[in-house]
Amino acid sequence: MRATFSRILTQAAQHDERVLLLTGDHGYALFDEFRKNCPGQYINCGVAEQNMVGVAAGLAKAGFRPVVYGLAAFVPMRVLEQIKIDVCYEELPVVFVGDGAGVVYAQLGTSHQCTEDVAALRAVPNIGIVSPADRFELQYCWKHLLQSKGAGYLRFGKADGGDVHAAIPDAPVGDLLQARPGKGDWAIIATGSMVVAACRLSAALGGAPVWSAPVLHPINRAQVESIGRAFGGIFVVEEHSMAGGLGGLVAEIVAETGGCRVIRFGTRQFSEFCGDYKYLLSQHGLDDSTLLAGMTSAMAREAP
Amino acid sequence: MPESRLRSRANAFDAARLRASVLRMAFAGSTVHVGCALSIIEIVAVLYRSHLNLGDRTPRAAGRDYLVLSKGHGVMAQYACLHELGWLTDADLDRYFSNGTRMKGLSDAHVPGLEVTSGSLGHGLPVATGLALGAQRLRSGQRVFCVVGDGEMNEGAMWEALLFAGQFRLDNLVVIVDENRFQAMGPTQEVISLGSLHAKFAAFDYDVLSVDGHDEKALDAALDDLMARRNGRPKAIVAATVKGRGVSFMENNNVWHYTRLTKETFDAALAEVEGR
Repeated sequence: MRATFSRILTQAAQHDERVLLLTGDHGYALFDEFRKNCPGQYINCGVAEQNMVGVAAGLAKAGFRPVVYGLAAFVPMRVLEQIKIDVCYEELPVVFVGDGAGVVYAQLGTSHQCTEDVAALRAVPNIGIVSPADRFELQYCWKHLLQSKGAGYLRFGKADGGDVHAAIPDAPVGDLLQARPGKGDWAIIATGSMVVAACRLSAALGGAPVWSAPVLHPINRAQVESIGRAFGGIFVVEEHSMAGGLGGLVAEIVAETGGCRVIRFGTRQFSEFCGDYKYLLSQHGLDDSTLLAGMTSAMAREAP
Repeated sequence: MPESRLRSRANAFDAARLRASVLRMAFAGSTVHVGCALSIIEIVAVLYRSHLNLGDRTPRAAGRDYLVLSKGHGVMAQYACLHELGWLTDADLDRYFSNGTRMKGLSDAHVPGLEVTSGSLGHGLPVATGLALGAQRLRSGQRVFCVVGDGEMNEGAMWEALLFAGQFRLDNLVVIVDENRFQAMGPTQEVISLGSLHAKFAAFDYDVLSVDGHDEKALDAALDDLMARRNGRPKAIVAATVKGRGVSFMENNNVWHYTRLTKETFDAALAEVEGR
């Protein structure tokens, strides 16, 4: 997925000289291709994220299309107010890229982990939020980000779990994409890194269908509503806080439209201990076996 | 229309009249932040009168120079100038703070003529820096004048922006510090002492001049001097000002950061600025 990101970002800049890449002294190796092909469009703003977002806003006002890159822990979390005031209030076309979202920077600790970005940005008007599951969804999301007249946030992790789709999805922006067809009383909706996990679990849950939600805002609410009516229950899985992320979003829509039970799986507390990515996921109950146990017990509990 | 109106006025952006406009708005809206608007009157007056290229003299004119009010609390001073330009009407001033009107108590980019949304401090200068970088990349010749508060220099983002502007050789950026030596809760020296801002700008390799911020001739000369130096160095003016300038009972009296005008104080203040 990262190689794809590097390629499509470079292509965007080659295609449109207004596209500028701003980084807060991050992206070692990731931007080699970009710097080689578009050196004049690469701006290292230094370790100064607040100013970087203000500069991006100024450049957007001057007619450029800035892409602001950082670790999700810094962009958007550290610069939330700059995103709100400098960019979103004026509906400026700035794309924010939060790399390493979730707990993938496991051993580096809390300062580099980010499980609250979606919740924070969902409350800010005028910014789209995308969370692709694989390189194909990334390209689908990227197209929409670049076509948008306003701001957008691209969230992705660092660990690549493999492809979910076989080609770039052809769907309107906001649609949930079927990642695994299935049947039964329960469906799974997942986003980002957790879509691959959800697909792995599907068979053990009697072939539950899996939808991927690459676009969290604006999401296709009617589609969520119809899934909420068609099934007896929905599991939502995300590498993000259980508060305010996709789980909360689906629960809000389904509750407002009289649908089924929604059960959320996401991150919980800060992690006190050092450990690798797999260890951190298990600490949050997002490893396959804990997820499966939680889902099967919910299914048994809710069985008619 | 605005241009003809300006030509008809020999004394466009007259400081006394701008101060009267500020007082009129502050009284009409029963607003605070009077003192910090009065300290930047001469700064914005000389910029609008003699330095800003306003293009076709519409608020969003292509190719215009930018006046970025980073210390958004002083916005009434800029409104007073927009009124001089004819971009705001007498009714706008008299209806200040009324429900459903656009003009708020802090700079807001949705108001035609204001470039940034500020007042959460430390935002305007980074955006101004981006505008200056954009102009540099476009070779548009546009200049960016950013008015910042001395209290605002507490914000870390200001120093991030100053470093960035130096690194990217933004000699089309002029940072003008309204050094009125007060911030919300007291004298800057007692809150977070800034020492010599002049020395700090010099240490950041800026072309910096210190002037009396109420002396229009000195401000004009400093701006002319700095803008003639297209040497890759960003510019700064440290303008020594008086918070509440022009109204004796407001000068250097920080309660006028928060105090609203009554009929009596309004009449007394207006009489002073109008020289009655």
